[in-house]
This record gives sequence, C-alpha cells and structure tokens, in this order.
Amino acid sequence: MGIPLEQLLQAIPFEQLLIQTVNGIVTGMILALVASGLTLIFGIMDVVNFAHGELFMLGAYVGVITLAATGNFWVALVVATLTIALLGAAIHVTTLRPLLGRDPLTTILATFGISLVLQNYALWQFGPVARKIQEPFTGHFTLFYLDYPWYRLVIALLSAAIIGALWLFLKFGTYGIWIRATTQDRVMAQAMGIPVPSVLTVVFAIGAGMAAASGVLFGPLVGVNHAMGLDWVLKAFIVVVVGGMGNLGGSIAASIFIGLMESYASLWVSPAQAVIFSFVVLILTLLFRPTGLFVPTPK
Amino acid sequence: MTLGNASTDPLVKVEDIHTYYGKSHTLHGVSLEVGRGEVVGLLGRNGVGKSTTLKAIMGIVRPSQGEVLFEGRPITHLPTHRLARLGIGYVPEDRRIFRLLTVMENLRTGLDRRGVTDARKKQLLEKVYDYFPVLAERRNQAGGTLSGGEQQMLAIARAMMLEPKIILLDEPTEGLMPRMVSQIRQIIDVLHHEGAAILLVEQNVPLTLEASQRIYIMEKGVVRHHAVASKLRVSDAVIHQYLGV
Repeated sequence: MGIPLEQLLQAIPFEQLLIQTVNGIVTGMILALVASGLTLIFGIMDVVNFAHGELFMLGAYVGVITLAATGNFWVALVVATLTIALLGAAIHVTTLRPLLGRDPLTTILATFGISLVLQNYALWQFGPVARKIQEPFTGHFTLFYLDYPWYRLVIALLSAAIIGALWLFLKFGTYGIWIRATTQDRVMAQAMGIPVPSVLTVVFAIGAGMAAASGVLFGPLVGVNHAMGLDWVLKAFIVVVVGGMGNLGGSIAASIFIGLMESYASLWVSPAQAVIFSFVVLILTLLFRPTGLFVPTPK
Repeated sequence: MTLGNASTDPLVKVEDIHTYYGKSHTLHGVSLEVGRGEVVGLLGRNGVGKSTTLKAIMGIVRPSQGEVLFEGRPITHLPTHRLARLGIGYVPEDRRIFRLLTVMENLRTGLDRRGVTDARKKQLLEKVYDYFPVLAERRNQAGGTLSGGEQQMLAIARAMMLEPKIILLDEPTEGLMPRMVSQIRQIIDVLHHEGAAILLVEQNVPLTLEASQRIYIMEKGVVRHHAVASKLRVSDAVIHQYLGV
C-alpha cells in the first residue's frame, strides 16, 4: 500500500478502463441472465436450485448437438432453451413437487443430487474434452487499439432482451398474475382456483430454459464441458445473495456491479484473482446487509 | 361412489370430519349441511374449530376421517384449486389480499378462468364495482395499501369473481367500524338474493341470527346445537351457554 490513487490510475490507460467497462457490462449481463433464472426459482418457489449450473451446461451441450445437425446458431439457441425447459418441468414434477411443503433443506439436497447426476451424465455421454460452439458471426469493431467482437455485445443485448421479456411476462397477462399471486400467498392463490402445482412447474421450466439460453449464448466464449456450470452458478449465487434473494431487479443490478468490479480488478490482478473481490463483496453483504444490497434492510 | 341427484342433495354436506393440527385433535367429528342458496351461520367461541371447518371444506386442511360432499359428490381429496373452480368461494378470516397485486389484479386471479367470455368478465366486474364503488376508484392501487374495511370488500369481491355456488365467509366483520359492518351485512343479503349459499362464521351473534336461516353452534370441535335462526334470540339460554362470557 502507500501508492496514492492518482498514481495508481495514471498507470492504467484510459482506453483500457473503457474496454474493461464494456467487458464488465457484457459479463454482467450474461451473469444477470443466469442469475435471473435462479432468483426467479428462489423468489417464487422458495427452492434454492443447486442444479442450475448443470441446466446451463446441458443447454450448451444441446446447443452443440443442434448446431452440428442444423448449422444454425439461432435454431440451436431455441432448441436448447425449449429442451431444457422441458427437462426442467420433468425434474420439477418428479423431484420437487413431491417435496412441496417440506423442510427447505430437502429441496437443497434434491437439487444438489440432480446436479451430480446431470454432471456425471454429461461426462459419460460427451466425455471430458471441451466442445466448441461457433459464434453466429465473427465480425469485429475497433475499440481503441482492440478488435472487439460484435458477438459479445450481441450477447449482452440478447440477455437484456430475454430478461425484459420475462419482466413483461410477469407484469402483464394472466399467467404473470398467477405467478405473482402464487409468490405472495400460495394457499390463497389455490383458493382462487389457480393451479399452483402447475404454476410452480412452469416457473421452474422458465428458469431452466433461461439457464440453457445463457449456456448456448456463452458457449462460444468459454468452450463447453461438463463442469462449465460450476463457475457461473457460483457467481450467480453471489449475485443472487448480493442483489437480495428473489429480487429480480436487485439481481440484475448486482450482476452488472460484480461484472464491472471483476473486470476493473483484473486491471491490477489476474482474472482468477479478481474473483476474490466478488467473494469479499459477498461476505461483506452477508455481514452488514444480509437482505441484499438493493433491498432496504427491514427494521 | 354414488352420483348424487343434484336437486335433492344439499349443496355442501360435511360428514363427521376429524382434523389434527400436529398432534392436537382440532375437529372431533363435525357434521353440517348447507342447502342451495341458503345462508347458514356457524357460531361458537374462539378456537372451537369454526375456521378449521371452513378450511376443511376448502381442502386447505385435510380431514383424517370423514367426508365433505359437494352436490352429492365427495370432494375431500380434491385439490383446493379444483374446489374453487367447482364453485366454492373462500373469504378467509385475515382476508389474505395479494398485497403487491393491484385491486384489479386481485380480482383477475378469480376472473381469468377458462370458459368466461370477455363480456361476462366485464359484467362481473361492473357488478362488484357497483356494490363496492371504492374498489373501482382504487382499481390500480396495490391491495396492501387499502384500509381494513376496503380489504374485506376486496376479499369478498374477489371470491365473487369465481361465480361461486357457495361462499365460505370467515368473520367478515371482525375489526370493522359499525358503518362497514352494516355494509357487509347488506352484501350478505345481496349475495343471498343472487342465489349464492353462504356459510357464515361470525362472532357477531345478532348479525348472524339476522342474516342466516339456520344456525349451528360449535364447542370444542363438535357441533353442539342446531336451530332455525328465527327461533333463536340473543338472550336464549343456549346462546348464553355456548357463546356467553
């Protein structure tokens, strides 16, 4: 320590700071897409879904297979989303619905079990070698001295669009009302004729589909393997806690916050070390604002 | 399973139901009936099992023994949302408004069902807005921001959206100002004239005797007394015995 801040900033060229800002927002938006599925499932169902990362990973694999068969990235994105949404519905009906009304710990164990099964299935089925998803276009634009791939910006915009669509779905229309009523009072929702078990299945399927979509979108940047879900879901959990469990807006804000922080941190330290900053934020949040940074602490 | 004859069976028949809350035995064999379009009062001190009886009819509490029949059909094992669609409306004691949903969205939880045309939806909404003008004024306001009396109106209006054959009303006048109480009293009459049956749980004995055709009085998880409402007076010994303080 002892280096004045000015000197520290002078060592970093301004362009690099801007590049890292763009990088941070892009990573933040992808993180937001993963985290919003997670926070949706938690906020509405009170289920902490430890299998979320595996749904993300399987989505990427379905993307790989569909891309190989059709040659079209966008078809792969849609097929992966729908397939994993269906898988999510099946998982919910067979594993989580029977646990409805039980201790939350049982759902944690159940989803953790599912995550192990899915991960090992992927290892057995696809082997340990990472697959590659080819991005749909390879164009670049010049950001100062850097060739910045258009695709990264498109992912950020698509993530924003998907999250926006989710928000509109929840805000307007009958099913949105059903889902929100179920969140607020499950028993009364049933007494109003809302088929709560089906609503919960649909919510889990939507969350799973969103995980799969982010898996495919992010596949071209990282490569697809059976353990790819771990990293992202760990970060998504940080985001969900920092943003306030079950708070969609908070999760998005926290995603961009964490994304920016890690990319600024990697100006000084390696990206792997930058992750440490996220955990520091997580621990500080849990210590001082356990309801999340973006939720007023209840008095 | 017998297919009941709709014209002779009571609308709701509760046959000897027992319920447990954890290890405590809350209902010890409750039996009662509500006919079509009939207003039936269920009286008793606090904690004798009146609310539990309503919850058992609604499928929120599962009886371990006994049966609930709706139009002659056993419904004891149907999920709550199916019962709502069959025509049982529930107005719980604590109102249970969806606090973050607007008044309109609260109503739509019951209104957006299959088989209800847009014209019919409009008609139903106009009807409740007619009865409860304050709900029309506040249709875009969050349910949680309404006053206690307004929330009670919303809870009743919300149940009416289901076009129920019977409404289970749990202490609708509890904690309300006298003016609101008389408004609720009028609504019970209106619902009755429209042909809906009502099973009314109340602490307000004069109101219940006035609004109902028949009365059941419960004590310690069983029905102790059953009478035609017009034959009962607030001063009767039986009222004093089971309800007096």
